[in-house]
Amino acid sequence: MITLKVNGESHELDVSPEMPLLWALRDRLHLTGTKFGCGKAMCGACTVHINGQAARSCSIMVGEAAGKTITTIEAVSGKVAEAVTQAWQRLDVVQCGYCQSGQIMSAIVLLTGNKTPTDGDIDLSMEGNICRCGTYVRIRRAIHEAAKSLA
Amino acid sequence: MRIWGSRVSFVTFVVTLILAATAVALSSTGAARTQPSLADDQATSLAAWDQIATVLEHPRCLNCHQLNSPLQGDSRRVHIPRVVRGPDDQGVGAMRCGNCHNSMGNNPTSGTPGGLDWKLAPVSMLWQGLSSGDLCRAVKDPKHNGNRDGSALIRHMEDEPLVLYGWNPGKGREPVPIPHEKVVEYMKIWVAGGMACPN
Repeated sequence: MITLKVNGESHELDVSPEMPLLWALRDRLHLTGTKFGCGKAMCGACTVHINGQAARSCSIMVGEAAGKTITTIEAVSGKVAEAVTQAWQRLDVVQCGYCQSGQIMSAIVLLTGNKTPTDGDIDLSMEGNICRCGTYVRIRRAIHEAAKSLA
Repeated sequence: MRIWGSRVSFVTFVVTLILAATAVALSSTGAARTQPSLADDQATSLAAWDQIATVLEHPRCLNCHQLNSPLQGDSRRVHIPRVVRGPDDQGVGAMRCGNCHNSMGNNPTSGTPGGLDWKLAPVSMLWQGLSSGDLCRAVKDPKHNGNRDGSALIRHMEDEPLVLYGWNPGKGREPVPIPHEKVVEYMKIWVAGGMACPN
């Protein structure tokens, strides 16, 4: 049995330690806000927080995440999360929306560690989150907006 | 007559050359007789280094001994997605090594390689583009090897999890082509022979 601490609750799961965390989140815990994109850590759609870092849950294995604090888009909270989601809504960032939970999770990590990111900081930090609709310009603007509202 | 004269000069020249070569050969045999172990040790050390160099220059090692961004795969292309070193050699913001690479090892489902403390090698240990001689001098220089002496270098090759990863890189990546125990043996020979480096 493996214990996963997700969104403040502990779950005992009878799964292989090599199972991707995303499988456990979506298929066992039914937290489907986190999306499957590429399955090989190349697109960022599956981004969650593990101990406050922007982990790709398709690549991080259950055994690796065991005992750590896992937060998904369903439960992410706090000042930075609020600033990011509000900026996202104000600027109407989302187009199809499939990548957005991953984008938001990464943006929160960026702004938590860097209160005044430059365009370069945003590009480097958000590099692993791909948007097939090409909303990158709005994403970048929303991160600047969120940073301003947090100042 | 002139032709014959030239032939005489040529024969004299060849004989002189043979004598000179014999003298050199004899004198070097004499030198080897006085210091046999040193010359032998250096030659064996150098031969061992040649084997070590092929390991260190292999993509499994060299891909992460880069300045700002790691390379990826056997083709040594730049890492996709783009990642940069950052202040602790483990990336920046939402793009940190441990976000995808598991410390418990390779992920057989996503294919992402993993190992304990996955990160770029320190800036003091950049190997890209070095000749075998320069690489050798860098590896034995405490300023460029994490302040390791010979025995610490051997231990590093024996036990360091990220070094061992080179022999277990997961599907789709070529392992280091020389068996690990052989490489450790070469390290011991290289160190015992005075860590000889090619010019």
